[in-house]
Amino acid sequence: MITLSEYAPIVGQEVIDQLERLAEGLGPARFVHVNSTYTGGGVAEILHRAVPLLNQLGLETAWHVIEGDPFFFETTKSMHNGLQGFKVELTRKMWEHYLEVNRANARKFDWEADFVLIHDPQPAFLINELRPRAAHWIWRCHIDVSRPHLPVWRLLRDIVNQYDSSVFSMPQFAQNLPHPQYIIHPSIDPLSDKNRELTDAEIQGVLNRLGIEKDKPIIIQVSRFDSFKDPLGVIQAFRMVRRHTPCQLILAGGRATDDPEGDRILAEVQEAAAGEPDIHILMLPPDAHYEINALQRASDIIVQKSTREGFGLTVTEAMWKGKPVIGGAVGGIVIQLQDYQTGFLVHSPEGCAFRIRYLLHRPEMARRMGQLAKEFVRNHFLITRHLRDYLTLLTIVRSPEGRVFEF
Amino acid sequence: MASLPEHAAENAFWFRDCFLMTMPIGQKAINLRELLHAMYEVSDAVLFYHLFQYRLAIIAPAVEYPNDFALWAANALQDAKLAEKLSSFDPFDYENLAQVRQAVIDLLEEYLWDLPYIPWARPGMEFHFCEASTVVFRSQISAGTMLEFYEALKKVGYDSIYYHLFEGRWRLGVREMDDFSYWIETNFDMPELVAAIRNMDIYFYSLREIHTSLLKLLEGCLEGPR
Repeated sequence: MITLSEYAPIVGQEVIDQLERLAEGLGPARFVHVNSTYTGGGVAEILHRAVPLLNQLGLETAWHVIEGDPFFFETTKSMHNGLQGFKVELTRKMWEHYLEVNRANARKFDWEADFVLIHDPQPAFLINELRPRAAHWIWRCHIDVSRPHLPVWRLLRDIVNQYDSSVFSMPQFAQNLPHPQYIIHPSIDPLSDKNRELTDAEIQGVLNRLGIEKDKPIIIQVSRFDSFKDPLGVIQAFRMVRRHTPCQLILAGGRATDDPEGDRILAEVQEAAAGEPDIHILMLPPDAHYEINALQRASDIIVQKSTREGFGLTVTEAMWKGKPVIGGAVGGIVIQLQDYQTGFLVHSPEGCAFRIRYLLHRPEMARRMGQLAKEFVRNHFLITRHLRDYLTLLTIVRSPEGRVFEF
Repeated sequence: MASLPEHAAENAFWFRDCFLMTMPIGQKAINLRELLHAMYEVSDAVLFYHLFQYRLAIIAPAVEYPNDFALWAANALQDAKLAEKLSSFDPFDYENLAQVRQAVIDLLEEYLWDLPYIPWARPGMEFHFCEASTVVFRSQISAGTMLEFYEALKKVGYDSIYYHLFEGRWRLGVREMDDFSYWIETNFDMPELVAAIRNMDIYFYSLREIHTSLLKLLEGCLEGPR
């Protein structure tokens, strides 16, 4: 098991000392996380690492996952899309099923806690059934809810209103709610298989296995096959670049168990890339962290051309590898890619193509941008900062009367 | 400048850690007129966040604009002239937040008065008003002598620099006084160093630059005659 002290060489011993002091100030507490998947997606990834570390800091921390059938996950996927602004229709039958699956899960849970953090809409209704089990209920929204489809948000809002506080990834996502709202940016783990340092031989081994030759510059987008990630726009941009500069494109995607839409989008991408040997479409299993790490490190430019994004942890991962990153100017990507400094922000396939060409022809600029990006992530988006935010949040929500707490 | 005195201070200086939780209040401005109207209504905590605390939330590699309002004018309204005016504004010129608020209102009002149109934010770049809660606690880093203070300063984070300089100036009720210079003044005979720290244009610099400048000031003393 990874221990806290292993992060000291990366973030500095002072940061670890601060975490210990914060945990000491908070005192003994039971902290429960609930989400809807053990694998796939940034939420599960960070919980896998954060939960043991919080326990090491003396917080009795547990992680529970709700179970659901395919109809439940279709429903919550529709909710997810609706919250991101798509005009989806949630039927009464879907909504009833959503509530019923939550009730069924609630009957199986026997935890009690001082603080419970409910991740995203899937388990949100648990509060209705389990309110007395925890002193403080916090709803953690990882989704870009800056312009939600109103009928969907109305349904969810009635549930969220019952919470004591909520946490969003960006101020833009905050809503009109009757309780305090906080901002916590997500984070990555520099010691995980997805982010740890790799040797050249390890990287080459993965390229060989996946049949990728590094004979031309590699441009990559790593993300689920999801319409909001705009893989078709990336292919369009790539074709524009290719008219001027030789290069190859990798679209590497995973599939989360709570996302039934993936297969349809993948088919559309395959059709768009048909007959083009320099486009590699890699459907990787959710645990292919090591392969993704190697692919990112082998790449020259990393793209995340999302049209909606909660935060965009794939951007954080790419920046941590010291690569120049081009991202859609949406959601949390805007915070991470400080335009011209830690990356480039784009608004269209044309903009994406232009910046790819710009960087391919200016390797020195690409190198400098990558270095700045890595330092930026070290200061703001590593798991140690996330742990600090959790501890700070719990300290604050326990005494909501004041705004400054000194000890 | 004088060399570093070797005697110990009467009371050691304990560096504080300061952790910030940004709290959006769920209100936004989509154009300059809405920003102006909101400036009359939002709480002091909101004003304080956008003028001071925001620099702890995200510490950008380079600081082009010293407050959130100037940054928004440049990036969202794409109004370079307004960004220039808001950048030249220094809240440390005023005695209290009420005066600071009036100064921002006057600046925005005068600017809008002369414009034939209302500048609008680019879509998705509305101004989102926030405030913050902070958790402050005594770190394990302290200093009894000036040499220890110098060594300690090398170790502390930007949050500590922010707390002792920015919050310190407001907390002590005297704009030009901060925790560091106050401790040095009351424990050591180093009027030049105290003046140099108080004369730093902290609002203009990033936390990173302030940290470096402080270390340089102390190094200047270290190199002086013992």
